[in-house]
Amino acid sequence: MRLLPLVFALLGLTAQAEEDVFAPVREQLQTCFSCHGEEGASTNPEYPILAGQEFYYLYVQLKDYKSGLRDNPIMGPMASGLEKAEMKLLAEYFSEQAWPSIDYQATPEQRQIALSSISAGQCVACHLSGFEGNSRVPRAAGQHPQYLELTLRNFKTKARNNSPSKSSLMGSMSDEEIVGVAAYLGALGSN
Amino acid sequence: MLIRKHAMRRTGQTLSGVALMTVFCAGASAEEVQGGTLYGDMHVVTQDMLDHAYGDANNFLHTNGNYAQTRYYPARQINRENVHTLEKAWVFETEVVESMETTPIVVNGIMYVTTAFNHVYALNAETGEQLWHFKHEMGPITTYCCGPNNRGVFPYGDKVYMGTLDAKLVALNAKTGEKAWEVELADPELGYSETMAPTAVDGKILIGTNGGEYGIRGFVKAYDAETGELVWNFDTVPEDSKGVWATHDATGRDMMRDITAERVAYEKNGDPYKTLGGGVWQNMAVDRETGMVYFVVGNPSPDLYGAIRPGDNLYTDSLVAVDLETGSYQCHFQYIAHDVWDLDAVSPPIITMVDDGAGNQVKGILHGGKTGYVYVHRADDCSLIRFSDPMVSQTGRWTLPTKDGAPMLPGANGGVEWSPMAIDPSLNLAYAINLHQPMTYHVEETPYPEGKLWLGGAFKVIATEQQWGNVSAVDYNTGKIRWKAKTEQPMIGGVLATGGGIVLTGEGNGLFKAYDSASGEILWQYKAKAGVNAPPASYNVGGNQYIVVAAGGNVQLNYPRGNEIIAFKLAGR
Repeated sequence: MRLLPLVFALLGLTAQAEEDVFAPVREQLQTCFSCHGEEGASTNPEYPILAGQEFYYLYVQLKDYKSGLRDNPIMGPMASGLEKAEMKLLAEYFSEQAWPSIDYQATPEQRQIALSSISAGQCVACHLSGFEGNSRVPRAAGQHPQYLELTLRNFKTKARNNSPSKSSLMGSMSDEEIVGVAAYLGALGSN
Repeated sequence: MLIRKHAMRRTGQTLSGVALMTVFCAGASAEEVQGGTLYGDMHVVTQDMLDHAYGDANNFLHTNGNYAQTRYYPARQINRENVHTLEKAWVFETEVVESMETTPIVVNGIMYVTTAFNHVYALNAETGEQLWHFKHEMGPITTYCCGPNNRGVFPYGDKVYMGTLDAKLVALNAKTGEKAWEVELADPELGYSETMAPTAVDGKILIGTNGGEYGIRGFVKAYDAETGELVWNFDTVPEDSKGVWATHDATGRDMMRDITAERVAYEKNGDPYKTLGGGVWQNMAVDRETGMVYFVVGNPSPDLYGAIRPGDNLYTDSLVAVDLETGSYQCHFQYIAHDVWDLDAVSPPIITMVDDGAGNQVKGILHGGKTGYVYVHRADDCSLIRFSDPMVSQTGRWTLPTKDGAPMLPGANGGVEWSPMAIDPSLNLAYAINLHQPMTYHVEETPYPEGKLWLGGAFKVIATEQQWGNVSAVDYNTGKIRWKAKTEQPMIGGVLATGGGIVLTGEGNGLFKAYDSASGEILWQYKAKAGVNAPPASYNVGGNQYIVVAAGGNVQLNYPRGNEIIAFKLAGR
């Protein structure tokens, strides 16, 4: 029992010593949460999950929104005022959060067409078999399928133009394949 | 600090930096590497040992066996008469379950292996017991075209050296696994990264670079083995890269170039050398008599869209020789000028005596191309003596890519991918593993995307067409194929030939096979849990010859992943 005061004292010290490294972007984070959910764990299928996404991928996207390389009427103005250090901090914050489960299921038909399409496109060469992301390559496993489908379509039509090799690949995919791949990836990690 | 936190998460760590150091240091001091096979505690790899690796039947010191990169291991204890009794001696499971391309290096009974994401293990080569484990603290920017692979360390002096996915060269204390130094080779944000094992010679560490899919300017660099200081740099793409406007490839086939349009573009836009690619993916062969260093240079960037890079795109898709002391250019031979199919030069070159076509034995260089040919060169001037019969189908070769995709063979993975060949000099045979993987080639106009993946189109596997592979034995004095063994799947990994008259290589389905070197007869096979897509090695400890190979599968061809290092020896020993 006599240990308890010491434990509390130590905890207090730890809390005091911990610096909020994200303090410079706390205000911007609140803006992010309004669409992307608390801590970036989006529950709105139109907005991508940011929580647990790759640091470098997020940083590059913010940079591309700011420069206009990735053209988006919502995110462009949001990113226009961000400095490089702020973009890195935001990316760091989201990359440190836990990826939420969306509990999504794909149909057997969607799964079949997705596996065939993924094989033909050699997608795992970059995304790896679990599609969990690494550095430049975003996590796609367990992402909202509606967002994924829109993204793949935007690559195909070049409405999204900041990853040209992705556009070339999507240009060779049918609508049915895009729907199937989005559903398959969205369901990865769900029981 | 932020970077460190992120890197921890990616490598599966939850410990703080301080905690990790504590654990690491404790592990390093607790483990003393035990003695070797010859003179006890021999940890230092001398230049003399490396120079005489050709005849060393105890160690496996070089990624590809020796400086000539023959992958011919002289030991004969395991041979064509008894290899059918080969059995598993031990298995070591690494922490990383992802594709494995490591060549195990063995120094006096100590084995060094690497995994994806740059882990290094030192093992007792007799038992598989772990001696130390090093995890590279990865920066936030990693780049790879074909998986987060690593092909192994190179031992030199009292250190082992490794290139990393975040474009660093790392030197480790061979006895403890502690990091001695690391240097950044180039800016990873631009797409530079490392998967190859370095090569050490005369106090220098030689290393190339990945990045041909990202618009880098390729290089081979030499670093001081002790200090990590840059000694010299050779740009694989010269400032004048236009060449001679070659219209035919090394085999004499028309590459369908629009030379007129290219000349106009060259005059208008200038030389594209700054973003022309030209990665060097695999180890270099070193001629210790002449001081020449031979390597092959990979594809131009972007892979498929050639209009933006007019000219021959020197020295992409070429065999190149430089001087070991200075890095100065000596000679080159380009297989494909202005490649728009990514059928580049990747498999490491081999030095051996060859027939020059006039009945004279001359020093030659062999290279197995993604085109599916074995090329034979003179070593003194890089010129081509001959090319072999094709090892895989060439249907439609040099059909130009189209927007909707044009079918052509070989597919963009080869032919012979990065997989090292082996030779048996007593038979004049080179052993190459091949892919038959029909693809469509799609081209799209694409400006330089500033460090992002830059293919200029897409490669797509034709799902409805059958794929397979083969092991081909090519007589490099005639170019004829002596034997060919078909495999269920396209082949990637590497080959080892031995003085026992056997050839060893693995497959994506987990089969690891021993073939009769002379006839191609399958003499033995073992089924691993994952794809065997790494180059085998061999060594001797305690009077027993071992064969060792990694079974971790392959990302590029999506073969089942695993994490095993498997050592074999003869039954009853």
